[in-house]
Amino acid sequence: MNRALRRISIAVLVMFVLLLVNVNYLQGFDTASLASKPGNSRAFYAAQNQYQRGSIVTSDGKVIAASKLSSGNDSIKYQRYYPSGPEYAPVTGYYTIFGATGIEAAKNSLLSGNDSSLDVRKIIDLITGKTTKGATVQVTVNSKAQDAAWNALKTLGKPGAVVALNPKTGAVLAMASYPSYDPNALAIHDGAKLNKADKKLLKDPAQPLLNRALQGTYPPGSTFKIVTSSALLTQSPSTTINTPVASPTTLSLPQTQHILHNDQGEACGDGSGQAPLITAFAQSCDTTFAKIGIQVGANALNDMAGQFGMNDANLTIPLPVAKSNYVIPPSQALTAYTAIGQQNDTVTPLQEAMFAAAVANGGTLMKPDLVQQVTASDLSTVQGMSPSVLRNSISSSVSDSMKQMMLAVVQQPEGTAYAFNQGVTGVEIAGKTGTAETGAVSLNDAAFTCFAPFANPNIAVGVIIQGGGYGASAAAPIAVQVIKAYQQAVGNQ
Amino acid sequence: MSSITAPSPAVDPTGPLPPASRSRRRTELIMLVFAFALVAFALANVGFTLKGGLPAGAALYLAVYLAIVLLAHLAVRRFAPWADPLLLPLAALLNGLGIVMMDRLSAQANPARGVPAISASQANLQIAFSAIGIGCFVAVLVLIREPRVLQRYTYTLGAVGILLFALPALLPASISEVNGARIQIRFGSFTTIQPEEFAKLALAAAFAGYLVAKRDVLALAGRRVLGLDLPRARDLGPILLAWVASLLLLIFESDIGTSAVFMGLFVAMLYIATSRTSWLLIGFLMFVVGAVIASKLVGHVGERFDIWLHPFTPANVQGNSYQLVQGLYGMGSGGLLGKGLGGGQPYITPLVQSDLVFSAFGEEIGLAGVMAILLIYGLIVQRGLRTAISVKDPFSKLLAGGLSFMLALQVFVIVGGVTRLIPLTGITTPFLSQGGSSLVGSWILIALLVRVSDTARRPPPRPIQEEGLTQVVTLN
Repeated sequence: MNRALRRISIAVLVMFVLLLVNVNYLQGFDTASLASKPGNSRAFYAAQNQYQRGSIVTSDGKVIAASKLSSGNDSIKYQRYYPSGPEYAPVTGYYTIFGATGIEAAKNSLLSGNDSSLDVRKIIDLITGKTTKGATVQVTVNSKAQDAAWNALKTLGKPGAVVALNPKTGAVLAMASYPSYDPNALAIHDGAKLNKADKKLLKDPAQPLLNRALQGTYPPGSTFKIVTSSALLTQSPSTTINTPVASPTTLSLPQTQHILHNDQGEACGDGSGQAPLITAFAQSCDTTFAKIGIQVGANALNDMAGQFGMNDANLTIPLPVAKSNYVIPPSQALTAYTAIGQQNDTVTPLQEAMFAAAVANGGTLMKPDLVQQVTASDLSTVQGMSPSVLRNSISSSVSDSMKQMMLAVVQQPEGTAYAFNQGVTGVEIAGKTGTAETGAVSLNDAAFTCFAPFANPNIAVGVIIQGGGYGASAAAPIAVQVIKAYQQAVGNQ
Repeated sequence: MSSITAPSPAVDPTGPLPPASRSRRRTELIMLVFAFALVAFALANVGFTLKGGLPAGAALYLAVYLAIVLLAHLAVRRFAPWADPLLLPLAALLNGLGIVMMDRLSAQANPARGVPAISASQANLQIAFSAIGIGCFVAVLVLIREPRVLQRYTYTLGAVGILLFALPALLPASISEVNGARIQIRFGSFTTIQPEEFAKLALAAAFAGYLVAKRDVLALAGRRVLGLDLPRARDLGPILLAWVASLLLLIFESDIGTSAVFMGLFVAMLYIATSRTSWLLIGFLMFVVGAVIASKLVGHVGERFDIWLHPFTPANVQGNSYQLVQGLYGMGSGGLLGKGLGGGQPYITPLVQSDLVFSAFGEEIGLAGVMAILLIYGLIVQRGLRTAISVKDPFSKLLAGGLSFMLALQVFVIVGGVTRLIPLTGITTPFLSQGGSSLVGSWILIALLVRVSDTARRPPPRPIQEEGLTQVVTLN
């Protein structure tokens, strides 16, 4: 029996040698390959939580996302928190154990400290014995403008969004969306509770997770007349803002039985059927611009819409932006509707701000950008902001005309936003209202795009309020508050 | 005989024993202290990593652990003074590491599920089961003074073994089915028993008794075909019985791992008893045939093979092979030296506390650590086989050889499965996995090896006086 036992011993030895060789292969040679295999969340977690995640701060230094040591026996060392939760949620997004959105997602590798641009600094940290941290991302948002936008939306209590841009650089000065959510509720490390919180937000009919500023698209209504006017002024250089244009009280649309009225059947201008372009623009006469739309044609409108940044599905700021649509309609009658921002025209609140920003900046549309700079933990700059031109929307002479017309909307007694500029002192605002018909007046979407100060614009604001009624009454006051807050913040008042 | 022609030299009966027959109990004690130190260090490591200091419960854990280990040592001193000095310390070290891992797993929640792999009370149960296991160890040493007494109960043990194996399949699924396999008996909502952990031991003893009785006929009768000594057809009965039993086990309890261990145990013991290679060959062929039949009949089996061969396909990674793959990822992330106890993320792997516990060690103590664990298992098996070779009585020889081989096979099946050397099947990792039955069963196995080694190493009773000399009778 001993001979058999010795052979069994050899078999056992072979078994253990096989096991030893196999664990050596697994843990000695195969580790890199295993780390990159699908579904290896260990590598993901390890990379995400290796260093203290960097903060997100506003351009004026307010911390809107940061990490602190977790409490208790948490398996993840740092806890992400958002001091002003819902107000900045459209900017920061959330950072959960399962994924991220907003700046948290767009700048994840820098925030987590794993970006290759941080490698040299990490080596220096290693030598000097400093703890490596993720990079700090400074966004372009101004906290005063953001506060004004958020508080105004919250006070109004209707779904909508506000975007403010610096027309000269494209920097996003404010970006608020209402209703919003608290990203702190999603930053918890308890997956079961997180799933529950996430489901609740996803099921909420008010869609709090939707960042309306970038991802919501709404009919632009009459704000689209900026595009229609620009197309006319570009197409016929002889036209000036004072050129009389046909402004009938009603307009029969070609090849149909449809008759287009102005809002509440009002006459346009003095009712003579002719009005200066600037008067028709200030009064927002639908018949005038429907006729201009037919005159310049859908292709010209489409080109001009593109020049203002519409029909671009690839815009990122670096958060992805939904496409604002101008769809070439099949008939002249429908072209008339598209010229006044109805039919299939849809824009994001960011696009609303871009209309005014392009006009304010002498016709040059700067690429919107939310990130001002990224600094490593040693305060050295990793990435700066370099303003770039997105489109040369219109010529400077057309832009001058558009500025005058938008000024008239706000500053002339017949202008649709005149009433809401009363009491505004020290800053001259120019803009355009829009009311997109969705049915009953109370359900109309209100839009407003504007810039200020008129002489030397430093802010362009786009506002869209769902079910806000008339653009002037719902959206314009919010834009005015944002502009006033920003002028105060930059010391213009 | 030389003693007839020349008288052997006088030996002082009160003098020191020759070195080969020292009891080595002091070595055992020193090794136990060493094991205790390692376990204490590991527990402190977990505490400092996860809680930033020594947790309050650690001292109590270590006190209980030290107490039961010393109790085992004293029992060996009293009841098996000639036992192998390494078996107890090696088993105690593995048991201690298992306790540390349970403590570690209970101290940290899986962020995706919000709860730890096992609760704190389950971790406490592990140390309670260690105490019960060592209690059984002592009981075996006290009750079985000579391994041969088991031979008397050959058929009783066989019947008990088969009954224990069949019990979960006979009981309704509601109290025996866990994760698709029917291997447990549930008492209430918390306590479960896996009877197979004890059935294996009973059957190993029964096989030993049976084979000792029949080994001559199994070894000698038969024909020689193609250079191979084939047994007679009528002698194939026992192996057929074992084969059918393991197939039934597979089909009715979906328990591939145990049925492989069971079949392997029987074939190995048959080989040890007969030294006949044909038995190995027949056993292996029957195993292959059985595996093919099983893969046709039991969906579970084919799936295991698919997972083994193609674990990284997108469907498998998120589905059937998730557990295996996460275990591999854990071991990969551990690398050479590991993440440190408490520093890894073993909680990601499902069932990391039981079937996949080896991968948790791989992740946290690295290649260096798991090689050490494998060598500890290897050493236990080596001490057991050495005991089998040195013991004279054939029953004890078969019992020790069979038990040692079974331990080796079990480690091979589960560690090989976890590291994707062979298909992964759910059996426990001796001493390391969570679970009382496995722990108690493993301690009984060690007790039997200790008992046999005591018999093997015990010096022959010394004659009162050398035969060649004049007898000196002391009169009081």
